[in-house]
Amino acid sequence: MTRKTEMDVEILHQVESVCPVCLERIPGHLVRRGESVFLEKSCPEHGPFAATVWKGEPAFSSWFRPKIPYYGGAREQTGRGCPFDCGLCERHTQRTCTALVEITSRCNLNCPVCFADSGKGTDLDLDTITQMFASIMTRTGGCNLQLSGGEPTVHNDLERVVGLAKEAGFTFIQLNTNGIRLAEDPQLAFRLKNAGLSSAFLQFDGVDDNVFRTLRGRELFAVKCRAINNLADAGIGIVLVPTVVRDVNMDQLWEIVRFGLERQPYVRGVHFQPMSYFGRFPVDFVPDHVTLPEVMSGLAMQSDNLLQVDDFRPPGCEHALCSFSAKYMQQDDGRLMRLGSQSCDCTPVPAEQGALTSIGVTARQWAGVANESQNSHVQPVDEFDRFLQRARTHTFSISGMAFQDCWSLNLERLQGCCIHVARPDGRLIPFCSFNLTACDGTSLHRPSPNLSSTGQQNG
Amino acid sequence: MNLSFIPADMNWTCQPCGEKLQPGMVELDYMGNVFRVELPVCPKCSAVLIFEDLAIGRMLEVEQLLEDK
Repeated sequence: MTRKTEMDVEILHQVESVCPVCLERIPGHLVRRGESVFLEKSCPEHGPFAATVWKGEPAFSSWFRPKIPYYGGAREQTGRGCPFDCGLCERHTQRTCTALVEITSRCNLNCPVCFADSGKGTDLDLDTITQMFASIMTRTGGCNLQLSGGEPTVHNDLERVVGLAKEAGFTFIQLNTNGIRLAEDPQLAFRLKNAGLSSAFLQFDGVDDNVFRTLRGRELFAVKCRAINNLADAGIGIVLVPTVVRDVNMDQLWEIVRFGLERQPYVRGVHFQPMSYFGRFPVDFVPDHVTLPEVMSGLAMQSDNLLQVDDFRPPGCEHALCSFSAKYMQQDDGRLMRLGSQSCDCTPVPAEQGALTSIGVTARQWAGVANESQNSHVQPVDEFDRFLQRARTHTFSISGMAFQDCWSLNLERLQGCCIHVARPDGRLIPFCSFNLTACDGTSLHRPSPNLSSTGQQNG
Repeated sequence: MNLSFIPADMNWTCQPCGEKLQPGMVELDYMGNVFRVELPVCPKCSAVLIFEDLAIGRMLEVEQLLEDK
């Protein structure tokens, strides 16, 4: 049901969110004003708040992919309700697609934009990690795994951790990394590959050092290139992961994709993550979220429509408003051929089915290309073989995911989340809930040893 | 894109019709992507044979490539 209030303003939906100051659950509305959609809410104690959640093309009204909720698996008792009982609670509508394990809280960077509040800290011990891997497998029945931190490459037993994940039965193991250690030690990638690592989720914010100086506090472009070379030599699939920030790297979206396309088959895709705001902010802080349609239309514009806004689809796994993706095959002459359905299937499908599909599609696309495919000099027997030979090495995914913070949180989206942070006590906490902080930096779920830093954003 | 899927052994008969299968052009539509391919077809009832190796081999691989997240 929608209600038009005046010419260019339309109240679209009622939503539930939280107050950015006290984190109490409060009602709000998605309100379209012109070409933008805002999440507007008001706390009885702390007043009104608004955040832009959609801006431009594709139109908000066109972007949906309904799902039949999944309520299976272990669930926590509901006490205060969403988002306070995460683990997952009985209101959650999706299973785990990717479990994320923060194996260390230490980091070798000190980014101005870090949601993990990383720095000094500790490593999880191998017994705890073993127990967590077993628990994830039991609770989820199998999913993709991402090792994170902190910076996971500073863990003293990283290769053993990867080996333990493989022994636990994970078939797609990804490392979320800044790449510094991988650049410093050319043998590290080989050791990780031998231990069972499938993919590197490599922070890669831009194609020049201005971007890295601003977002990471250091010139890192050459380091990233060395890390990519070392990962490529070892046969580990590489996904470039830019944190997208207005006035910093919004003008490099296509340049980043082109950088990746030029490094096929080693780089398997680009995954854009618009910055979200976790940490400590002034009470009157007004966030400036880059929205997913701005990334999609930016890619189209900057590529002179080699990529098109219509190429991108909402996800079948997580909530439609959380991500977009498209997959291409780059042909011998350099042209990009979009793969996949021509239109969105907008009939409701079981959420579990979408998750299982996503687990497989993600693992196949983001893992390294097998050596035999890269070195195939066998003449294709027919056109079909020719298509497959090319596709095995030159499919490339372009995707983006919008995390939610205390300004943009929409509990319906949170309840549909499939990316879950595993905890030593066995709970699986939706990513945005785990990282959620009030604007004074107080965390809802993340144990926070250090609230003294001036927080900003995600990385 | 024209693709041929004729098996080495073309000695197949359509059981209901009793007709020998012949190579014929068939349109395969998967998630809106159309591939024109050559497959064994019954000249009488137009039934198409997709042999097992093809179904669980190259055809599955193409299906997976075209699958959306």
